Amino acid sequence: MYGGGNTFEGIQTESLQEDPEKLAAFEARIDRGEKIEPVDWMPQLYRKQLIRMIEQHAHSEIIGALPEGTWITRAPGFKRKLALIAKVQDEVGHAQLLYSAAETLGKSREAMIDDLITGKSKYSNIFNYPAYTWADACFISWLVDAGAIVNQLANAKGSYGPYCRALERICAEESFHLKYGHHCVIYLATGTARQREMFQQAINRWWTPMMHFFGPADKISTHTQVLMKWKVKMASNDDTRNQFLDMYVPKILELGFTIPDEKLKKNPETGRWDYTEPDWEEFMRVINGDGPCNKERLEVRRIAEERGRWVREALRSSKTAYVTPLA
Amino acid sequence: MKSLDPRVNRLQPDVTGKSIAPKAALDQFGTFEVFVQPKDGKPFQHEGIVHAPDLELAYVLAKEAFTRRFTCTSLYVVDTRDVYTSPTTEGDQSVYSLIEAPLATNEVKTSYEIYHLLKRGKQHLHAGTVEASTPQEAMYTARQKFGTDKTIYNVWAIRTNAIRLTTPEEKDLWNTLPEKKFRDATDYKGGDKLKSFLERSS
Repeated sequence: MYGGGNTFEGIQTESLQEDPEKLAAFEARIDRGEKIEPVDWMPQLYRKQLIRMIEQHAHSEIIGALPEGTWITRAPGFKRKLALIAKVQDEVGHAQLLYSAAETLGKSREAMIDDLITGKSKYSNIFNYPAYTWADACFISWLVDAGAIVNQLANAKGSYGPYCRALERICAEESFHLKYGHHCVIYLATGTARQREMFQQAINRWWTPMMHFFGPADKISTHTQVLMKWKVKMASNDDTRNQFLDMYVPKILELGFTIPDEKLKKNPETGRWDYTEPDWEEFMRVINGDGPCNKERLEVRRIAEERGRWVREALRSSKTAYVTPLA
Repeated sequence: MKSLDPRVNRLQPDVTGKSIAPKAALDQFGTFEVFVQPKDGKPFQHEGIVHAPDLELAYVLAKEAFTRRFTCTSLYVVDTRDVYTSPTTEGDQSVYSLIEAPLATNEVKTSYEIYHLLKRGKQHLHAGTVEASTPQEAMYTARQKFGTDKTIYNVWAIRTNAIRLTTPEEKDLWNTLPEKKFRDATDYKGGDKLKSFLERSS
């Protein structure tokens, strides 16, 4: 669910000299609207950026399952438990689909998982925040998923075949997540004063990370322009943020909640939303490891890795071999 | 580490601070391609891969990863190394134009499943089965049998007896899927509740 519009770390490209003829054929294929498949020639920058982007997306699914997973045992009632278990299972399944898509570009799944637990790879920053109450879990299910869907629908129109196929399946599976999340929030909103207050507090806690979610305004560098031309980056961070606000601010207000930003207002002249810039220093600080849950998130993955080691070793067989997936 | 999550607290993380040795690059399970038939009468389609220690576990993992959500009538998996692939073409060039007649052999013929990529970016779809003694011959036979009017960008030939098929007794694996309404978006109707709330509050 958590395709970030924001892909961390720039790539140094000065030294990458590409064959001009191959590059022209590659760009012509993208211009014709044809997808790139794993066996095709592709520029180094295209490959690297896609690996980084798809890998971060996959890690975000795995880590994103943690704050919601916390609430499975305490979800109110059997139906909510069933739904939440199914949703969390979907998210982990999405990580598998995305790892496979990234593997077609030449990085093995285990190498990606190693990079996640050593902290070398990033994941969506929003999951470094804790889900204190059931209302936080509802905020994630409805609004964080909604933000992710905005990104994923954009990325599904990108140029790399395996990533598009994974995203198509992911978007289809997510149709129930969003409805489920909204359903949970409607129940809180139409419930007791205390339930309403719970969700209001969740909004207050999550609004800044939600605005961070789409990433800082893009610096339009030649790098960004190239990635947009190659249909790797499909929309600017500000565009996806605006689209999210367009679609969901009215739905939040309709339920009688408030949003903790006095400046938040659609500007009738520009047709875009005015808002207070969220604290980007906090964003950078949390990305770099100093958030409320960074340590715990990675620790949980490390425990899983360590405790699962004997199972993997017991099952390993010389009759099979790791090879790059076909498509 | 003190967590808000009671489960994490119960884990009593005993690995805190210990460094985990990174795995060798290919120290992981094998790769298996997964094919699903969504409905009776529809062709099988390629869905993706799983990593597993053997063909049987690949089948189990594939069932969970690829057939827990949408209708499915059959599933199969095959070791990626058993999939013989053609080159990939572009524009309006069909890949069959590149496939030439193989040298004649006297080897015993066996059956091969043929898959086509009909559009770049889409999934490979099952075209049919051919009898051949080598994968090259299977592709050439497929060219004559299926390589007709459509532009085909890529072909796969898979020896049928390398595949872990779904047995007739396993067909009931998916019988309960329609009962799992909690995975269905239409099961979350909040409209009436929302409407009466809005009427009360206006």
